[in-house]
Amino acid sequence: MIPSFAPPCITGCHPPTVATYAAMDDPHIRIENLSFARGDRLIFDDISMSIPRGRITAIMGPSGTGKTTLLRLIGGQLAPDSGRVLVNGEEVAALSRRRLYELRKRMGMLFQSGALLTDLSVFENVAFPLREHSRMPEDMIRDMVLMKLQAVGLRGAIDLMPSELSGGMARRVALARSIVLDPEMIMYDEPFTGLDPITMGTIVTLIKRLNLALGITSLLVSHDVEETLSIADHVILISGGKVVEAGSPAELARSESPWVQQFIQGLPDGPVPFHYPAPDLVEQFLGEANA
Amino acid sequence: MLELLASLGAVTLSALQRTGRGFIFLLRTLVGVPMLLLRPGLLIKELYSTGVQSLLIILVSGLFVGMVLGLQGYISLSKFGAEESLGVVVALSLVRELGPVVTALLFAGRAGSALTAEIGLMKSTEQLSGMEMMAVDPIHRVIAPRFTAGFLAMPILAALFSAVGVAGGYLVGVEQLGVDSGSYVSQMQAGVDWRIDVMNGVIKSIVFGFVVTWIAVFEGYDAIPTSEGVSQATTRTVVHSALAVLALDFILTGLMFT
Repeated sequence: MIPSFAPPCITGCHPPTVATYAAMDDPHIRIENLSFARGDRLIFDDISMSIPRGRITAIMGPSGTGKTTLLRLIGGQLAPDSGRVLVNGEEVAALSRRRLYELRKRMGMLFQSGALLTDLSVFENVAFPLREHSRMPEDMIRDMVLMKLQAVGLRGAIDLMPSELSGGMARRVALARSIVLDPEMIMYDEPFTGLDPITMGTIVTLIKRLNLALGITSLLVSHDVEETLSIADHVILISGGKVVEAGSPAELARSESPWVQQFIQGLPDGPVPFHYPAPDLVEQFLGEANA
Repeated sequence: MLELLASLGAVTLSALQRTGRGFIFLLRTLVGVPMLLLRPGLLIKELYSTGVQSLLIILVSGLFVGMVLGLQGYISLSKFGAEESLGVVVALSLVRELGPVVTALLFAGRAGSALTAEIGLMKSTEQLSGMEMMAVDPIHRVIAPRFTAGFLAMPILAALFSAVGVAGGYLVGVEQLGVDSGSYVSQMQAGVDWRIDVMNGVIKSIVFGFVVTWIAVFEGYDAIPTSEGVSQATTRTVVHSALAVLALDFILTGLMFT
């Protein structure tokens, strides 16, 4: 059984309407006129968005649209070419290294691969941020780690090495590590990719429960539509460097945009064509036959 | 012609950028070194993996190099009836040149390539990014202990290489070929100057340790985070280290012994 953090409900505890609008007045993260390019490729073209405090916000879009890049910009691992990324009102790119690290102590991040330190056991991985940033006595560190591992259901795996964990277990250990400093926000980078249905369900539930119990701002980057929409309070769709649509999952479902409908229904053809741009079929076949 | 100039310019700019990144990286690493005083456990762990685990290859190589020196030295010296000088020939060759140089080359192949591969893999599996996001500077936590350990281990390994080499020369020269043991040792004592020969050899090995470890950790940290990128970085570590050691050896020898 998946352990509960506090309130027993998973969905429907807080209707997204009133609370979300209240949270929107006090956004945790604000992105203003952000542009970012890698070489000649423009990834974000003057985009703006707000991430409400204490809610689950999903950033969705096709592969290669820069969702992970956006998380790195928010975490200060990349700097925008123009525009601003503000976390708690602080402009991330303008912070000194010391202040950036202070900010990061209040951020958790779950990487797609888990990013566990391969030479440390599960216990040492979860204890790592505590050892680096606190002077807690060893017995208190042990208690904290056990609590966090209990929360993700892996207290029994405390002595295993990362190489002995399945992909889903590794991600749960990484989740325990990302909450061990009790952050104000967590960024999840493709948390559902490559997981079996049971593990995926576990991760979905954990993300929701963490958000509810701890009031953590959760920023979820994913292209797994069904799982993401089932827990997100607010969804931002990005494509081609622009914000295409934003709103609650219900609002997205009602969207009249053919692109949005194609994306959330997973239709193979539509505004995003099935075929990669190519010369005319008949012309190409006949051309090859005549050649 | 214009294209050739443009590509030449691009290559030069890229090399300059990389050199600049390397120096900035070195400065950040050096800033992290004093912090190891607060956490000696990190340094001890790395000293074990870079130093202790390189011991076997260094000692075995040192023994064979000393034995070859003993054999070749005896053949050459006996032509002039000067085989009693074998000890000083073996010792000077080892402490001045072969000890620091061969140890550095072996160290680059054994520990340097391992350092690059380890750090490169940590980068490609997002472990370094993960540390940054946990507000832990990977240069202080991962790079500085490895750099310091390599830098400290190299002179010790070179000294052991030379010591075992002298013993190898003794085995062949004295035990096998019949050179007088008293002559072997006393000529060595008389002919090897502590400051000019031994200390200069130690300085060489310190410089080589610094450069080889710097190249190894920088190549790992700067590697393209793919399996091919890590493999190329590992190769670059061995090639660049070998070239740097040989070139620096020429310069240092010129400065020290002329």
